[in-house]
Amino acid sequence: MMDNLDTLPKNLLAAYEKYGDSKVAMRQKDLGIWRSYSWEDSYKQVESLCLGLMEIGLERNDKVCIIGDNDPQYFWAQLAIQAAGGVAVGIFTDSSPLEIKYIVDHSDSICVFAKDQEQCDKLLEIKDQLPRVIRVVYWEEKGLWNYQEPWLISFRDLQAAGNKGNLEQPGLFRQSIMQGQADDLAVFCYTSGTTGVPKGAMITHANLIAGCDSAQQADPRLDSDEYLSFLPPAWITENVLGLTIHLRTGMLVNFPESPETVQENIREITPQAMLYSARLWENMMAMVQVKIADTSLINRFIYKLFMPVGYKVASIRYEKRTPVNVFLKLFYNIGKAALFQPLRDKLGLTRVKSAYSSGAALNPEVIRFFRAIGVNIKQLYGSTEAQVHTLHIGDDVRFETVGVPSPGQKIKISESGEILVSGGTVFQGYYKDIEGTRKAIIVDGNGQRWFCTGDAGHIDNDGHLIYLDRMKEMITLSSGEKYSPQFLEGQLKFSPYIRDVMTVGGEDKAFVTALINIDFENVGRWAEKRGLPYTTFVDLSQKNEVYALIRQDVERVNGTLPEAANITKFVLLHKEFDADEGELTRTRKLRRNLLYERYMDMIAAMYGEGDKILVKAAIKYQDGREGTIETEVHVASMEKKEV
Amino acid sequence: MDPDYLFLSVQNISLAFGGIMSLNDVSFDAQKGEILAIIGPNGAGKTSLLNCLNNFYHPSEGKILFKGKDLTRLPPFRIAELGIARTFQHTALYTGLSTLDNLMAARHIHMRSGMLDSILYWGRAQKEDIKHRQTVEEIIDFLEMEHIRKAIVGALPHGLRKRVELGRALALEPDLLLLDEPMTGMNVEEKEDMARFILDVQERRNISIMLIEHDMGLVMDIADRVIVLDFGMKIAEGSPDEIRNDTAVINAYLGRAEQ
Repeated sequence: MMDNLDTLPKNLLAAYEKYGDSKVAMRQKDLGIWRSYSWEDSYKQVESLCLGLMEIGLERNDKVCIIGDNDPQYFWAQLAIQAAGGVAVGIFTDSSPLEIKYIVDHSDSICVFAKDQEQCDKLLEIKDQLPRVIRVVYWEEKGLWNYQEPWLISFRDLQAAGNKGNLEQPGLFRQSIMQGQADDLAVFCYTSGTTGVPKGAMITHANLIAGCDSAQQADPRLDSDEYLSFLPPAWITENVLGLTIHLRTGMLVNFPESPETVQENIREITPQAMLYSARLWENMMAMVQVKIADTSLINRFIYKLFMPVGYKVASIRYEKRTPVNVFLKLFYNIGKAALFQPLRDKLGLTRVKSAYSSGAALNPEVIRFFRAIGVNIKQLYGSTEAQVHTLHIGDDVRFETVGVPSPGQKIKISESGEILVSGGTVFQGYYKDIEGTRKAIIVDGNGQRWFCTGDAGHIDNDGHLIYLDRMKEMITLSSGEKYSPQFLEGQLKFSPYIRDVMTVGGEDKAFVTALINIDFENVGRWAEKRGLPYTTFVDLSQKNEVYALIRQDVERVNGTLPEAANITKFVLLHKEFDADEGELTRTRKLRRNLLYERYMDMIAAMYGEGDKILVKAAIKYQDGREGTIETEVHVASMEKKEV
Repeated sequence: MDPDYLFLSVQNISLAFGGIMSLNDVSFDAQKGEILAIIGPNGAGKTSLLNCLNNFYHPSEGKILFKGKDLTRLPPFRIAELGIARTFQHTALYTGLSTLDNLMAARHIHMRSGMLDSILYWGRAQKEDIKHRQTVEEIIDFLEMEHIRKAIVGALPHGLRKRVELGRALALEPDLLLLDEPMTGMNVEEKEDMARFILDVQERRNISIMLIEHDMGLVMDIADRVIVLDFGMKIAEGSPDEIRNDTAVINAYLGRAEQ
């Protein structure tokens, strides 16, 4: 047994020695049946592949690209490259030949693993422009049987060459693994490059292992846990949360039959841990709601009966944090058998212990929905360069934050409001890009390296990070303070009573204001419940009670932000923003300039003294006639209590 | 193999509906493992020709020899057993069954276990079922249909149904595959996929393919040989290049200039 498991291949060797043939390492569905690979299988695959790579001339520090879906072969290829001392460079499968050419060329790769005919064809198209590439290795042989192209070699042939070498020089593989150092580069992750060309983030074995150990502290995985690998393997997340955790904990990794069958395979495997984008969680909830609307009367009845119970119990448990009373608990348990459990089964969530969401902020509605059926979704925020920065740990889940720093990492906010991250996961820089690296990593007085995320954020009193937006999307006020329109509007729109918001600010403004559209339907229902009479939208929107209702939401959002970025005044508009009038795009995005001009008087009033403004607005009736309405709109100030 | 061995030989067949000659004295041969395309304007008799090949129609004259056997006297199911499978211009699947069941149904001609065996589902019947399932799964993998394995065929979009139909034809394990407009109503990407599948079928399984298709670019790309029909008569036969420059073909498609 080795003591120093500081590279991925060393971890593979250790796991092989520990489990051998007695434990399944990976599983993949093939021809409709889940097939297993033991740790010994996995190890042997990597061994022959690694020796094959050495046979064709791979040397330490050489780079090798991999383009492919989530398959055991992808993981084996990556480990084989690393065992030979090389660096694995992942490329997304939907990349065009041009994009592939850029990455293969820029990373100085001497060999490429390309899954199938589709990827091989792309490479053949650009063969002339890749003089350094010795061989292209494929693992899905379909369609490639009759290619007469010596540049291409199959996985199997490469392994056969490696096995031959193994007979001549036994022990070479192990020796090569032992030569690996923690600070060796393990992978390059090319960032998507929304701005300019992609940049290759250099990540060492130590980085990956630090990320894995941090995740293990926050939310440990066991070797009896199941995991389904479906995030793109070229992405850092799959490298850490998938491959590295697999190697270090023995967690079983399952691979989907094809990228199209992921949802089905999740249901079959029911993994303990899963990470979806916020969008996917939202889609899942919407899918359930649509399907319930289409289902039989009995099913709909059960859904209508038990869902409110689920919501209630979830809110007591997670928000009020008080014990649930016995009767409610009993009712909830019936609901569990009748509704929640079957629903979770459909979604493949029956065994999930850790459900994470990343990407955009997740709508609290979605979090509440999944809590009601018994799944507590946590948010996670990270980057390619420094992996997971923050996450929700345990039951400490708060809607508006992205959690606390992951164990072993430090977060601070720079003077300009940028989020900086430090810790073992911070990458080594961008490959062949000194300027970019200099901008991304700063070293402080104590010699600590900080990664500049380019994101704006704010740390609240409990140490939770609030993610606002990209730095360049922030707007500066006349005081020099910054605020994020995206964050304010997004968070306010999470309220069921608010349909649209436009915040106003800028270098000529001293504070932030907002034009708010109430949600007529929901606010109307709320008013009816409390016996509050109203006639029209105009009437309802200007009720003092409604102002008080919306004020609570504004206060809630303000509470998460430093005072300078707070909304100081707002108005409830007397009409809805309307796509027919060009105020919104057809996808309901704000046309800011037009709105700014149209509501200029109102905006001016918010920055003035008065608390009322007379509005005359031209309106178009549905039958085509035009008229004007005249009404008074209140300006609510967050400083004074009464409106 | 005997060099004189004729895989498929169509000899002077004619087919008449009332006074209309749908096929008029058509002859050609096909070799094992080739892709043969049949093209021609609408109503030229292309589908009639395929229908004669699996004896859906009975030609009034002429002979069709397949692996040395005359097909003209055999009922369609016997022809399927001999190794000719086909797909239809308008898909003809069991729309209430899943993809998997549609394919399994096609294995029927290869099943040997009797009714009693099947009811007991033990021993021989079970073993046989597993064997056929394996064959079907290989086809599902081959045509990349894993995600629709259990989907009801009636709910699938057109392009996928065409693929299921090709899969069902392959499940018969034919030597000759007749494809009647396998790519109609498909978008460019679906067409490219289908063309790739057809080439893979020929390459990997060494199955001869006769196909009718209107997309000329595609036909010229994938066919080894082309036969051109016009008003029930064969007006040309040859490699795609020869056909492209054939005056009779150009006239049939573009019309003849008045002399």
